[in-house]
Amino acid sequence: MADLANIVAVGILLGGIYALVSVGLNLIFGVIRIVNFAQGEFVMLGMYGTYAAYTFLRVDPYLALVVVLPGLFLFGAIVQRLILAPLRTEPTMQIFATFGLLMLLENVVLALTRGTAYSVTSVVAQTSIGIGGVQVGLVRLVALAAATGVAVALGLFLKHSMLGRAIRAVAQDRSAARLVGVNVDRIYMLTFGIGAALAGLAGCLLTPIYTLSPQIGTSFILPAFAVVVLGGLGSVLGAYIGGFIVGLTEAFAGYYLDPALKHAVLFAVFIAVLIVRPSGLFGQVGAEEVGLRDQS
Amino acid sequence: MSGALLQVRGVAKRFGGLVAVNDVSFDVARGELVSIIGPNGAGKTTLFNLLTGQLAPSAGQVLFDVQDISALSPNRRAQLGLGRTFQISQTLTSLSVVENVMVGAFLHHRGLKDAARRAEEVLHLVGLADRADVRAGILTLSERRRLEVARALALDPQIVLLDEVMAGLNPNEVQEVVSLVERLHAEGHTFLVIEHNLKVVRRFSERVIVIERGAKLAEGTAEDVLADPRVVEAYIGRKRAT
Amino acid sequence: MINPDGASAFAPASSAGAADRTGPRTRSAPRVKTFASELPRALLVLGLLSGLVYLYSGDTFTLNTLAAAFLFAGLSSAWNIIGGFGGQFSLGHSVFFAVGAYTTANLYLKAGISPWIALAPAALLAALVACLLSWPVFRLRGPFFAIATMAFTEVALALGNYMESITGGTRGMSIPFRLGFANMIFRDRLSYALLMLGFAALCLLVVLAVHRSRLGYYLQAVRDNEQAARAAGISVLRVKLMGMALSAALTGIGGGLFFMQVRVADPAALLSLFEFGVKFALIALIGGLGTIYGPLLGALVVIPLESWLRAELGGIVPGANLIVLSLCLILAALFMKHGIVGSLQRLFTIATRRIPR
Ligand SMILES: Nc1ncnc2c1ncn2[C@@H]1O[C@H](COP(=O)(O)OP(=O)(O)O)[C@@H](O)[C@H]1O
Ligand SMILES: [Mg+2]
Repeated sequence: MADLANIVAVGILLGGIYALVSVGLNLIFGVIRIVNFAQGEFVMLGMYGTYAAYTFLRVDPYLALVVVLPGLFLFGAIVQRLILAPLRTEPTMQIFATFGLLMLLENVVLALTRGTAYSVTSVVAQTSIGIGGVQVGLVRLVALAAATGVAVALGLFLKHSMLGRAIRAVAQDRSAARLVGVNVDRIYMLTFGIGAALAGLAGCLLTPIYTLSPQIGTSFILPAFAVVVLGGLGSVLGAYIGGFIVGLTEAFAGYYLDPALKHAVLFAVFIAVLIVRPSGLFGQVGAEEVGLRDQS
Repeated sequence: MSGALLQVRGVAKRFGGLVAVNDVSFDVARGELVSIIGPNGAGKTTLFNLLTGQLAPSAGQVLFDVQDISALSPNRRAQLGLGRTFQISQTLTSLSVVENVMVGAFLHHRGLKDAARRAEEVLHLVGLADRADVRAGILTLSERRRLEVARALALDPQIVLLDEVMAGLNPNEVQEVVSLVERLHAEGHTFLVIEHNLKVVRRFSERVIVIERGAKLAEGTAEDVLADPRVVEAYIGRKRAT
Repeated sequence: MINPDGASAFAPASSAGAADRTGPRTRSAPRVKTFASELPRALLVLGLLSGLVYLYSGDTFTLNTLAAAFLFAGLSSAWNIIGGFGGQFSLGHSVFFAVGAYTTANLYLKAGISPWIALAPAALLAALVACLLSWPVFRLRGPFFAIATMAFTEVALALGNYMESITGGTRGMSIPFRLGFANMIFRDRLSYALLMLGFAALCLLVVLAVHRSRLGYYLQAVRDNEQAARAAGISVLRVKLMGMALSAALTGIGGGLFFMQVRVADPAALLSLFEFGVKFALIALIGGLGTIYGPLLGALVVIPLESWLRAELGGIVPGANLIVLSLCLILAALFMKHGIVGSLQRLFTIATRRIPR
């Protein structure tokens, strides 16, 4: 019984992390219809940005948000303008370009850090609390809370703010949005920027949890794809729920099967869902088709 | 009429709450040229998709050569002899014009040279022979339409379904396509044609089927159907409004 | 009735301006390029490559580079069948590569079967695995297909590390150095360069045969427009599977050859996304996606560039080769979608247009 509680706790906390990492990816897909293979690298950049702020400015990792968020927003907006905007109508070239970005960012960081692993501590990092007999690291709780907060805030932002409504209009029907006077190109740039900033936020909050390495982005991207596909393409709530599905699947597979196989199980489930219901468990049926038809 | 080439038996198609095609039945005999007319959004293209398998019917049956083909894939139906064009041309943009037609010709001509020879014959027929080596992506609208017809003809089909092939063409081009269809019909080809141009319909059709709001409103000779007050109201009245 | 084009089929052959538009029945065979008519050019290219090997037959470093370039020329050509012609963007080809490698190595080590012979079951098994994996996944399009195939790599890596009896697990697997032609183990680098040239030649000829066949056209039709392909009587799934099987079979052979050349590897190395899975696609793009000679040209540019970068900068800037490659990838996606072959073609058209008639 205590075992079960433990596994569920581990799964939910992991789910919070995955949800946090995936929200930006799903926002970008939902609005711009681009599958950003480099999203994990944006998280990685967020982590290294936090590390830099921690080392050079001597601020707590959580405070580094003040620098990291705008930094990644800007970076994302520039990437969108320079690389993705010219490729709007070419899905194959988008895959090449975002994958190229993934390789580039990972190896540039590798070259800069020469592969040294860094780690960062926060006052929060050493603390853990007991909940119903299960010991839970406070940093992971923070990530979980942040994921929840981000999902709620993003949902409210999209529903009620002017910009959010414009973003939703573009996501639903680009040409109609253009007709009513929305600057679609600007929305694309802003959305990609916001998506990147959300990755930066994830990076910041994960810095005290993980040891930093240039490869960490790549290790996030496939679970993030799994989250997005399982939860529902293009839906904020979907990314949140998908995070927990993936986290729990991984935790249970790691416990009941060989831990070495937990990824194999996770991705097998992921591929199965992708095949049976490509729009995800909570997504609108045909979302993935719409995106592709739009572009061709 | 049990021997007709194409027999449509009460087909229907629902998209959620919308009934796009509602219990439509008709026959097309070998060697006939039948037109389908009806206002925009009446369900004509959806009906075609049910006949050639792009969509599965919610109800009803499609018999081809007395075989029930309702459950077959579009490619199986094409192999059996149903050729079609699409209202929005589906050009293979990275291939040349002759290669586009070869893709159709390969169905009955496995060899590269045989397929190419057949493709060139068909291109002559539709008047695109001098564009054979051009990349299909750069063709004009009217050329694309003719290319679609050519690819369908290259299948050596038993019946050809044309979805608004004249739309957007200038009068000269319409004239070309009309005489092409008439010539092929005279040679014994069977056609089912969705057409908006009533002058054209009046000129070639032995039989006209009117579709309105998914259902068959009338069927008969062009004169009879076009004189039918219900048709005039539903079709012509509506058309003037749009 | 004004109807010049439509009437031409019945016009007398002598009528003005209709010299090249005689009636359909009297036409001679059309000018279509066949395998036979394209073969001389392919053989010429392969002959030039052999000349290159002969020229550098004393230079170990260059021979190594050439061997790697030929290997990747073959692998990327194989990827091009399904990725370029068929438009199915697979990031999972390293799985078929690894299947080929482990089949060859295990048959050789455990059953004493010569690698030359083991390449056949390696190819078969790779094709079989490819078909079984892609059967369900071919429902997905574009980036979703790419993601699923990327996930295959991850599953295969976990399984590879787990199945120690076949792969040696994370410690890897090695093949003892026993010289001999039957063992496919040589001391001189020239033999390996020639071996890989042979592989590249095989792949090039298969690609050429596919491109000049019904299957080649069907793959391209499926890539351009699945709906139109279906309406033309093409079974889209079957065509994709056939393209994938051929592509994976060649990739499996490449895997077997690679393992026999390096003689030691672990699953992480064989299933590396950057070193294999993506590189096949990257080389094809840089050379010319969906062209016959693109992947060959791409490999002859990319691999020497990489090995030069590794030699010059590898010690100073780790990952320098991948940085340059990824920049090339992004730039090619932005400015050179048709790769080197496309650019050369464009130059050629411009040049010939400039020449006054
Ligand atoms: N795939 C689809 N999903 C939902 N509704 C559709 C679909 N295809 C067509 N419709 C609807 O069915 C009706 C008939 O459309 P269509 O067959 O294209 O008409 P027509 O060809 O006569 O102009 C229209 O209201 C159209 O919006
Ligand atoms: Mg229509």
